[in-house]
Amino acid sequence: MILAFEDVVKSYGEVRALDGLSFAVGRNEIVALLGPNGAGKTTALEIALGLRSCDFGTVRLFGESSRSIAARRRLGVTPQESGFPDMLTVAEIVVFVAQHYPAPAPIAQTLSAFGLEAMKKRRAGTLSGGESRRLALTLAFIANPEFFVLDEPTTGLDVQSRRRLWEVVREASGDRSILFTTHYLEEAQANATRILVVDHGRLLFDGDAQTLRERVGARRVTYLGQHGPVVAMPGDTDAYVRALVNSGAPFSNLEISKPSLEEAFLLLTKGPA
Amino acid sequence: MNAFLLVRAHTKVQFLDLIRWPGYVVPTVVFPAMFYSIFDLPAARTHPQNADTLALAFIAWAVIGVTLYQFGVGIAQERGRPWERYVRTLPASVWVRFGGRIATALLFGVITAAVVALVARAFTPIDLTVAQWLRVLVYAIAGGIPFVLIGITIGYWVSARASVPTATAVNLLLAYAGGLWMPPLYLPSFVATISPYLPTRQFGDLLWSVVGQGNALRAVMGLVLYSAIFGLLAAVGYRRDERKRYA
Repeated sequence: MILAFEDVVKSYGEVRALDGLSFAVGRNEIVALLGPNGAGKTTALEIALGLRSCDFGTVRLFGESSRSIAARRRLGVTPQESGFPDMLTVAEIVVFVAQHYPAPAPIAQTLSAFGLEAMKKRRAGTLSGGESRRLALTLAFIANPEFFVLDEPTTGLDVQSRRRLWEVVREASGDRSILFTTHYLEEAQANATRILVVDHGRLLFDGDAQTLRERVGARRVTYLGQHGPVVAMPGDTDAYVRALVNSGAPFSNLEISKPSLEEAFLLLTKGPA
Repeated sequence: MNAFLLVRAHTKVQFLDLIRWPGYVVPTVVFPAMFYSIFDLPAARTHPQNADTLALAFIAWAVIGVTLYQFGVGIAQERGRPWERYVRTLPASVWVRFGGRIATALLFGVITAAVVALVARAFTPIDLTVAQWLRVLVYAIAGGIPFVLIGITIGYWVSARASVPTATAVNLLLAYAGGLWMPPLYLPSFVATISPYLPTRQFGDLLWSVVGQGNALRAVMGLVLYSAIFGLLAAVGYRRDERKRYA
């Protein structure tokens, strides 16, 4: 097991950020950690990375404490958005990070994999949002680790850039494990082998995207009604359709489908609408 | 990875990131020499017998200012920042990170003190042998340690916004009461009574012992005691910071 959380509890004063969170990441997995803002994702990541300690429960990274330096040598992490020392160059930052690892990835090769070779002499303060994200990923990959933790690796990028970046990530990571957070559900669906949904500090779902869409049970009903298109996610689809027909109101193009991942996620974290 | 090489790597990035900010470098490196030129240079020229002690006092103050700001303000402003958070996920112990910070502060401290020394050499009859200058260098570095720890304590116990006024107040009050701006002899009697117990005065005494003045033994004992107290407060503050939430 690479990372294991067991009944982890963490409170900040009165606020319970994690309330008995348990999950595990194994080999050859790409796991997306999803949840609304304030769900406890950040706290869970910070505990996994050894930045915080938990109040109760156990956290194991490669079977050791996540504060252990030996365990962290096997881990590559992305910094959060826009977090570089402005006056350092791209190359200086990459070399600095590489110096921490016993067998770092080749620097020139990693820089060019993420398209930074031409701007290695640029100051970090002058990088655009997309370039900063690529530098953040470069730092996780320069570690040449067994496990990547990517905290919102593509936030702020457009769809094409996100897809291109994920192609590079999947290519460069090979079959090594990745845990990532994202606000883009389609990114989780496209790249994760498993999705974890966390809310109120608890694990609500653990499985693949397909299962998540099935799990919530609800169906999506769309039709063209009197006043234009209607989209509904009724609790009981059959009863809803029966009521629609019995009402005698004109409608056309009735369609019943599984919810999108987005809708399934909203239903799961907010309860049925 | 060798801990020494890692400390060097941390020192290098911190030093480069600061030295490239003129807004940091100019006030930090130039102010102590400027204050020295305004307040003490005339006195050192009219009373040549005081030239050594006056310059040594400002050398102490140069080191104190750099360390208090570098740690007190630097840590307070950086502790919630993404880069600091990221660096803490790297496989390096807290001692490597602090080692880098201490080395950076000492480098800037020595540069700042060297500017004061150069001004003193150029414009006053200060007269130290090479051996004495070497002792000044060693004492300036060693005497800076308790101020590093006082700075770290401020950095972890005071908010980013309050850190600049706090570090400034501590720096100016202690420099005055410690007799670094004017010789302890001229301090008001109340201040003169508490002066020997202040770390600034003890740092001054340590450096003055190079020219046969100041109570070196009492100074060393005091500085060790202050290091122990603030080392403890700094460690408690660091742990306390880990339990805080940054939105």
